[in-house]
Amino acid sequence: MITDFVQNCIDGIMVGSGYSLLALGFTLVFGVLKRLNLSYGPSIMLGAYVGTWSFLNIADNIWLVLLTTICATVVIGIYVEQLCFRAVSKETTIASMVSSFAIWMQLEEIALHLLPERTYPFPAFFDSGLLEFGPFTARSEYLFMFVVMLLLLLILHAFIYRTRIGLAIRAYSDHPSASAYMGIDGSSVLFLAFIIVSIIGGIAGFLILSADSQITPFFGLWATFKGLIAMMLGGIGSLSGAVLGGLILGVIEANAFWYGDPVIRDISSFMLLFTMLIIRPGGIFGHKIEIHQKIASERV
Amino acid sequence: MLYLEDIRTFYGEIEALKGLTLEARKGEVTCVLGPNGAGKTTTMFTIAGILKPRTGTLFLEDENLTHVSAQSRVRKGIALVPENRLIFPQMTIAENLDTGALSRPLKDAGIQEDILKMYERFPRLHERKEQMAGTLSGGEQQMLAIARALMAKPKILLMDEPSLGLAPLIVKEIFNIIRQLNEEGVTILLVEQNAKMALTVADHVYLIEQGKVTFNGNPSEIHQDEVIRRAYLGSEVS
Repeated sequence: MITDFVQNCIDGIMVGSGYSLLALGFTLVFGVLKRLNLSYGPSIMLGAYVGTWSFLNIADNIWLVLLTTICATVVIGIYVEQLCFRAVSKETTIASMVSSFAIWMQLEEIALHLLPERTYPFPAFFDSGLLEFGPFTARSEYLFMFVVMLLLLLILHAFIYRTRIGLAIRAYSDHPSASAYMGIDGSSVLFLAFIIVSIIGGIAGFLILSADSQITPFFGLWATFKGLIAMMLGGIGSLSGAVLGGLILGVIEANAFWYGDPVIRDISSFMLLFTMLIIRPGGIFGHKIEIHQKIASERV
Repeated sequence: MLYLEDIRTFYGEIEALKGLTLEARKGEVTCVLGPNGAGKTTTMFTIAGILKPRTGTLFLEDENLTHVSAQSRVRKGIALVPENRLIFPQMTIAENLDTGALSRPLKDAGIQEDILKMYERFPRLHERKEQMAGTLSGGEQQMLAIARALMAKPKILLMDEPSLGLAPLIVKEIFNIIRQLNEEGVTILLVEQNAKMALTVADHVYLIEQGKVTFNGNPSEIHQDEVIRRAYLGSEVS
């Protein structure tokens, strides 16, 4: 009984590392822009579609798929930034959110025209293998995704908190007008943030899909749901929160699947989100961030 | 040092600066006085490059900066201490100072040294360097805003209403800092509503009304002009 539970937790953490990768992108965009990018999941989906297209039409080379997936996601990210977040002024938060939803629809249409069939194969990064740790097991591709996720968290944290560019991004996020007086170019900060987020998205899409070995147009919707729920659980604007939220979501889903059924698994993630929104609306680390923001703005 | 000629700046179709001509000389404190809505902050924003003038020219040390972006102007040596301080409230004091140096080259070895100098000049900032800037008092926030602007190593420091919303004792302290900075050779362009305090530090004064310069002279000339003196300093000042 307890062995099953621990095994479910391991499986959940492995799958949840994919959710964490998606949530990192969502939380970074929201942290910088203070706006939700609903087209993030579909951008990753279309980027991965381009990767699959290169696999089917150019060469059976996994590195080419990785490169095209990341590059295409970056190009789509720039398109979203230019059309949706740069064109729509800072004051019109709702307009940019609605336009990001419109772009979502557009990206799905493009994906369906690029590859019209419902499901396509996505190449595996390396041969799937089962690693054994005493009575417990973990799939090698998920373990690899977990390690990559942790590495990305560390790199991103160091970039945001230890570099001059990271300082400029945080200054812009904290006070866009004041950052302009410091010589920070807000447009460049936005552009750079979208490139970073798109690279993370490209890596996330590639790893998740290569573990699943297939891609459908619904991946955009799936990525948006999982990424948003994980971000909300962990706390909006927190990198560590995004990772923790993804892992918790994975563990809850894995146990719901084991002790219930596949339908319960999806319901459990929404139940978890609603429960969190009622008990702790800011998420696990979001409450701390809210208090931090409140204290910081009290005397300004 | 800084020279503005016939500057006309608009907000939409509203002309806020109507042919403003102004000079800030090297090593001096040049003060711009005027009532609310006269165009003082617009002047500062135009110099900093936040607002673009439709006509006119702006020179800093013989270099024409009229069409240079706000980002480049900071690198060229124009730093602004904005009205209401506008510090980064969720960042620490140390990080706020770091943002001031973002316009300097990455390999500038003097940045750390300058941060230490700022802590020497403003010991209260040093004591609270790991504290969130938003938790500082108004006076401390103003000190931080000044220190942050100085971290850019500016040729000219623009100060927009540094006494705004501060207690009289703190205002005195802020003007002492302005005096000290000027004695150390920092060129300052000061916009103030507190004319009495501003005249204690000013070498040269401009009065602007409705976007135009209506007086240009030294502080003693203001004291001698009955109409201006009554309008800006009150009748009790002789």
